[in-house]
Formats: sequence, C-alpha cells, structure tokens
Amino acid sequence: MNPEPVAGARPATPSPIELIRNGIFAENPVFKLALSLCPAVAVTTTVLNGLIMGVAVLAVQVLSSVTVAIAKDLIHPKVRIPVYTIIIAVWVSAIDMVMAAFAPALYAQVGLYIKLIVAFAIIISRLEVFASRHPVWPSFWDGFGMGLGFLLALLAIGVVRELLGAGSIAGVSIVPFKPLLFFALPAGGFFTIALLMALFNAIELRRSGGRMHSSMESGHGH
Amino acid sequence: MKWDLREVLRITVSMTVACVLGAVVLGGVYVGTERYRVTADRTRERAAIQDMLDLPADATMLEVRQYLAVAERQVRYRVATMGSGAEGPATELAFSLDGELLRLGPVTGPVPPADEPLGRVWVASQAGQALGFVIEGESRGYKNRIRFFVALSPALEVKGVRVVQHEEDPGLGAEIATPWFQAQFVGRTAAEVSRLDVTRDPMPEDWYAAVVALSTRGESPEYTRLLARERTLPIHAVTGATISSRALTRGVRTTVDHFARRWALIAPHLGGHS
Repeated sequence: MNPEPVAGARPATPSPIELIRNGIFAENPVFKLALSLCPAVAVTTTVLNGLIMGVAVLAVQVLSSVTVAIAKDLIHPKVRIPVYTIIIAVWVSAIDMVMAAFAPALYAQVGLYIKLIVAFAIIISRLEVFASRHPVWPSFWDGFGMGLGFLLALLAIGVVRELLGAGSIAGVSIVPFKPLLFFALPAGGFFTIALLMALFNAIELRRSGGRMHSSMESGHGH
Repeated sequence: MKWDLREVLRITVSMTVACVLGAVVLGGVYVGTERYRVTADRTRERAAIQDMLDLPADATMLEVRQYLAVAERQVRYRVATMGSGAEGPATELAFSLDGELLRLGPVTGPVPPADEPLGRVWVASQAGQALGFVIEGESRGYKNRIRFFVALSPALEVKGVRVVQHEEDPGLGAEIATPWFQAQFVGRTAAEVSRLDVTRDPMPEDWYAAVVALSTRGESPEYTRLLARERTLPIHAVTGATISSRALTRGVRTTVDHFARRWALIAPHLGGHS
C-alpha cells in the first residue's frame, strides 16, 4: 500500500463496465487478490450462507466506498485507516440491525458472521486503493464490482462444497448421501478455493493467450 | 519531537466528526428497525416455546414477568395471558424477600422503571392442569450475554434447553447452541440440575451417539437407558469452548434453581388463572 493517497494517480477514469469486470475477473477478491479467505471458508459450507454473506459484503463495500469517496477531502490523511474502520463498522452494524429486523430467519443462521465483515481485508483495501482517489460514481461501480466478485466467488465455493459435502445444492438434495464430507470441513474449504483458483487462472491464461497480467496492487490479506 | 498544535486539532476534529456522524447513522437505523426486530423476536420466541413443550392446540399459556423492586425489597410477578403486551391487564403478586405474600390483585399500565426485570416464565396448562414451563434465563458468556430458554415438565424435569441469543465465536463457543450440546440437559431433575457441573473429559462414545440421536429424532431409547448412568454426571464441554459451556450450564443451573423456589411461592395463588 502507498503511504499516502495520491490525488490523480490515475488520470483516466474507467467505465462502469470495466470496473465491474475488473472486480469479477482481473482483480477478483478471492481468486486473484486472495483476500478475506478465512471468512470465505467459514461461511461457504452451503450455497445459501455464501449468498447471504456475499450480499451483505456487497452492500457494505458499496456503502463504504461511496462514503469514503464523498468524504475523502475531509478525512485527515494521518488517521484515514481508523476513519475507514469506523465507516465500515457503521455500515456493518446498520446492515446487522436491518437483517435482524426484516430477515430474522436468515439472521439466525449467519448473524454471527455478519459482524465479522468489519475486519474483511477486501473492503478496507478498496477504500485505500480506489475510493480515496476517485470520484463518487466510479467508486460506486468499483465497490459494486468488487462486492459482486466476492459474492460470485462465495457462490462458486458454496456450490462445490455443498454438492460434495452434503450432496445438495441450496438445500435441495441432489444425491441421497454425503459424497465427500471432507469438503464441508474447513480444510476442504481451502482445497475448494485452491482448486477453483487454479481453474480460474487457467481459464484466464487461455483467454489472454498465455500472458498473465499482474494486478496484485493491494498486497496480502488474511 | 515538536507538537504541531493545529495538526493535532485537525486530527481530533476529523476523528470526532467521523464518530459523531457514525453515531447519528446508527441511531437512525436503530430507531427505524427496533420495532420490527422486537416483533420478529417475539414470533421466534413463541415458535421456540411451542416447539419445546410440544403443546396441544387447546392449551392456554400464561406469561409471568418477574421483577425485583430494589427500593421496596420486593419480588413482583405480573401474570397475564401470553401476547397481551407488557402493559396489558395482569394480576400482580408481590412478595417480600422472605417469601411473604404482600399483595395480590389486578394491575394495568407500565411497570415502574425502577423495577429490574428478572426474566419471564411461560406456564402452559390445559383444563387446570399444568403441562409444562418455559423459563427465560441469561448468563454472561465469553463475549456477551447468552440468553436461553429452559423447558421443564410439571414435575420439574428438564424437557429442553435452547439458546435463543448469543454472540459466541462461530465454530467454538457458538457450538453451545447446537442441538447435541443442548440435549445433554434433557431428563435431569431440578435437584440434579442444581448440582450440575461441567467437565472437559472426552464424552463417552455411546453417550454422544445417544445425545445426537435424541437431538435429531426427538426421542431415543438409548438416551433414556444411558441417562440412568449420566444424570448425576457433569455436562461435557464443547472442545475449545469451556468458558461458553460453563456459562450456559451455570445459567441453566441458577435459572432452574430460582424458578423451583419461586414457583412453590406463586403456584398456590394462580388457581383462578390456570
């Protein structure tokens, strides 16, 4: 990460389509940036859990990116990280309360994980790398693209793990037995991510004709 | 190092403004959602009570709200039909701390704010016969309060324990809310629960299998058979979550203990109601 946000680091502002594609493919939070892998493993034992978590992360990422883009000139650069954390925590708590009020059944299942979004590396890294240097509208699309990339990654992992671990997809039984219980366990989660990551990169390599563009600008997360 | 006072001031203002704005947003969301959260909670509680006691359709339910009036040194009970609301018509029983009945009569309106809530009890009955009780309890967990329900039979045997609200860590403390852990309490009497402890010893395999069978199928002959051996033995803690396991066990113990004593006091006066 650069120590200080540099105004006008990227002169040309990318279009919404580019930003969304960037979030899903070129800089996919899970498969390319390898950020927030722990939560990605923890919640993806079923497709439904992954979906709810993905939607919550998408909402927090968009809200936080837009907030930072609006307030970036007011945030003192020396305390920007604590301020980002406050902004993320506020939106996570707001979504937590909204879910508890309007989706109590879902909240009972994933409520414990929602609070953990505060510490997701992907969200704060997008604030630092993108939203603090770009206007509101591109920041919105960047947040949307990144959130969508995370959501789709969680869904893909959830489908593989639920199908192999529990023999069902989104709670609908596909086979009447549990094919490989291993995939429902945390270790299986990491293997699933590794396999999907390899697949993802293989497809991208083929599409770009064997050339790999490095876009790891935001470092490593947990 | 030289202090730049203006810089210090600007940082302070920046952080303060961020916190104040965050607080305003959160306050707004809270005010907007609280009503719906309470309704959702009530619906969930009602479903949990129904499920734990497995009641017939024509059973009547009383809600007993317990309060401690600190200044007057009294324990007060407001008895009302379930769902009549906190301020609806109710019968109030007031006892001194020694268990002497001081007042028995109708009451309406809000509870005095100085009265400290001690939790609620639901009494299910049919044709004047008690069918069972669900008691609300609270205990301090690893991170935050653990709120739970204990269902008792008329003979004060545990019919079930259910954690209804907690913030323990997923994968560790949160395991106390799993059916198998909660099933360990089933079948123990109030007297046995009042001496209940927690152990970190590994769970005997036959007992674990029986507990899982009970929690998945609702009944297990194997459980009933092994209960004779296990009923005076401690609860087996969740691996890696001894604090959470102890918190729930301690909570169940005090909740059942208090209820057994209080029920002996109030039951004779509920005649007209149940």
